[in-house]
Amino acid sequence: MEQAPRDPERQLQPAPLEPLGCPDAGLGAAVGKEAAGAGEEDSGVDTMTHNNFWLKKIEISVSEAEKRTGRNAMNMQETYTAYLIETRSVEHTDGQSVLTDSLWRRYSEFELLRNYLLVYYPHIVVPPLPEKRAEFVWHKLSADNMDPDFVERRRIGLENFLLRIASHPILCRDKIFYLFLTQEGNWKETVNETGFQLKRRFTDLKHYSDELQSVISHLLRVRARVADRLYGVYKVHGNYGRVFSEWSAIEKEMGDGLQSAGHHMDVYASSIDDILEDEEHYADQLKEYLFYAEALRAVCRKHELMQYDLEMAAQDLASKKQQCEELATGTVRTFSLKGMTTKLFGQETPEQREARIKVLEEQINEGEQQLKSKNLEGREFVKNAWADIERFKEQKNRDLKEALISYAVMQISMCKKWGLTVLPRLILNSWAQAVLPPWPPKLLRL
Amino acid sequence: MAGGPKALPSTGPHSLRDMPHPLAGSSSEEAVGGDSTPSPDLLMARSFGDKDLILPNGGTPAGTSSPASSSSLLNRLQLDDDIDGETRDLFVIVDDPKKHVCTMETYITYRITTKSTRVEFDLPEYSVRRRYQDFDWLRSKLEESQPTHLIPPLPEKFVVKGVVDRFSEEFVETRRKALDKFLKRITDHPVLSFNEHFNVFLTAKDLNAYKKQGIALLTRMGESVKHVTGGYKLRTRPLEFAAIGDYLDTFALKLGTIDRIAQRIIKEEIEYLVELREYGPVYSTWSALEGELAEPLEGVSACIGNCSTALEELTDDMTEDFLPVLREYILYSDSMKSVLKKRDQVQAEYEAKLEAVALRKEDRPKVPADVEKCQDRMECFNADLKADMERWQNNKRQDFRQLLMGMADKNIQYYEKCLMAWESIIPLLQEKQEAK
Repeated sequence: MEQAPRDPERQLQPAPLEPLGCPDAGLGAAVGKEAAGAGEEDSGVDTMTHNNFWLKKIEISVSEAEKRTGRNAMNMQETYTAYLIETRSVEHTDGQSVLTDSLWRRYSEFELLRNYLLVYYPHIVVPPLPEKRAEFVWHKLSADNMDPDFVERRRIGLENFLLRIASHPILCRDKIFYLFLTQEGNWKETVNETGFQLKRRFTDLKHYSDELQSVISHLLRVRARVADRLYGVYKVHGNYGRVFSEWSAIEKEMGDGLQSAGHHMDVYASSIDDILEDEEHYADQLKEYLFYAEALRAVCRKHELMQYDLEMAAQDLASKKQQCEELATGTVRTFSLKGMTTKLFGQETPEQREARIKVLEEQINEGEQQLKSKNLEGREFVKNAWADIERFKEQKNRDLKEALISYAVMQISMCKKWGLTVLPRLILNSWAQAVLPPWPPKLLRL
Repeated sequence: MAGGPKALPSTGPHSLRDMPHPLAGSSSEEAVGGDSTPSPDLLMARSFGDKDLILPNGGTPAGTSSPASSSSLLNRLQLDDDIDGETRDLFVIVDDPKKHVCTMETYITYRITTKSTRVEFDLPEYSVRRRYQDFDWLRSKLEESQPTHLIPPLPEKFVVKGVVDRFSEEFVETRRKALDKFLKRITDHPVLSFNEHFNVFLTAKDLNAYKKQGIALLTRMGESVKHVTGGYKLRTRPLEFAAIGDYLDTFALKLGTIDRIAQRIIKEEIEYLVELREYGPVYSTWSALEGELAEPLEGVSACIGNCSTALEELTDDMTEDFLPVLREYILYSDSMKSVLKKRDQVQAEYEAKLEAVALRKEDRPKVPADVEKCQDRMECFNADLKADMERWQNNKRQDFRQLLMGMADKNIQYYEKCLMAWESIIPLLQEKQEAK
């Protein structure tokens, strides 16, 4: 179901945020240093500054489009368009830009990036991609994806997409986005390793259970109103009973036929109680799944909580590691109370520092153990949960099909009762005989 | 001639001569002897042949019933009891409504086609156009000239503008049917069908000119009844006419109640329909969330939609076919009651004059001429009325049989449509999902 974890920090975590200037970032170390140089206290905290640096210092362009052929997942020949993404860093001293990265990406990779962002930043309005297929085409406009005009417009759209992400205060810091711009090979595997698709499954499940709950309760409400109205229709027919009976009293030849009709109306009117009672069983079956939706939600919630717990632990660990490293190297980038007091009240002694480092190292060890076990727990949970959800889906499909079948059978037997049995019998027995004059013998056919 | 169950014949009565015995069914050895009518259950078992119409409780959902089985049977039962069909020599049809827009007004005309071999008609065939007010004129003329006879009713003259659309297809069609019925009833009447005004109505190119002439071609009876002075109070209605009067009172009352109930049913059905129209689509919405259940749920949604449409058709039929006939007979009863009253007056005059003569104690043994005339008048009136009543009763039976059976048939068709819809989704619900 999911791949073996490679890096605990990357597995089932939220989008790995790397503060700019971190040694791992790799993107223009020069840039990072610039940012760091600007003010030690506020780097890493002031996103606006980073944002501006990002925009000022980096240029992104989708400069070319190229037709390519290759083999797809089903080993079939396919033609697609690849787009060249170039990233330049701008030296702010002389305004010259230097090409730092360039790679080719196709549309499906842009999609993958966006899907990943949607899952990991559910609270963010993620910029859209240009259309996958040519829609809203007017007469002369080509609907062909390979059409050069379409490709050109798409190129512009894709560039716009990347620029929007880059200018977004939160999205721009995403590692996967960074890798998209810089790591050509293996990027897809990296994205998939985040397990975002799995996370999406849970998100989707949560949506499904919400919507299931909503639609079933709507259905039950309307069904109740339908039942109410149907009851009214049947009961009013009952009024016919008496008047037909009274009418039959004044008629000679028609009398019996009218009497029958009246009786039939009474039977009809009283049959509704049983019909509606049977329908209640159907409603009960639906209600069960209405409540099941709540149970589904509970599973999703549990997963969310575990996720959150895991994320907090990972963040905590990362921050401790950073602190430790800073203490060891003497550079201070993260904000800490100790750092502040050190500034204000003087440096601490090497012994003090050593002591602190030791404490942190212990905490880091502990943290790593905890994270490992939490991860394990998480993976177990996901595996078991998903297995049960699959089982649940099968059960639900079976049960609901059964419920619908019995509902249909109910309707069918009601239609047959009235349409094929009672009414024709009424007509033939009562009216054909009673209302008609006797068959003129001479017209009988043999 | 009796083969298997035939395809649905066209609606409307068929002459007995054209049809196999409706209960003959599929097997040819229908030894229905000419001496006795078989019992109903026997008939039913035979007539459905190998079609298992009488179902055990909770029959299998697999659709064995043919949609045509019940209602085609009933169609065959829509018999034309016209035993004198062989001797009919006058045929009248009302059809082809057309809208005329003039500066002063907009109105509808109907085409009247007449075919006749009677000597009273110069040509064998006529085709004229008439509007409602022409029919109205005809009716008053008939009442005037044939006061001892029961004149059939016309559909209501006035419709509240804004509530009913006088030019809607449904309204015009309902009216056309009623006008057609009106003329057919007159056609079937041995006396009224020979009325001069009726003849002119059917044949004249320019009816208005004739109307203006004010030619009052009254029959002898009409003439005499016209001069019956009111003001004579009848002491007691003879038993047979009292019975007729009572009958008509109760009859009209019951029909009125049935009309009200029918309207109430239609109202309830419409409200039910509103809810159904919301119910079906919810299944569609649900279907959009699902994978394997998507098709079945969509099927249920479509099924409910079909049932809703079937119900709508049934409700329309009730409004267009059932209610108008009820109202027609209520109007009929009213006009018949006035004829009864007129008869009473004729009798009252006679009795009063007779009494006056008796009181005068003249030794003229001969009854004076005018009293004789009164007696004559009364006896003719009684005879005409009795004959018309019997004819009316027969027609009423026929009309109501057709009406009630027709409504039952429409109901059967409704159930058949619903049945088909529900049966068609069973395979959908039972089918196993193939690996997609």
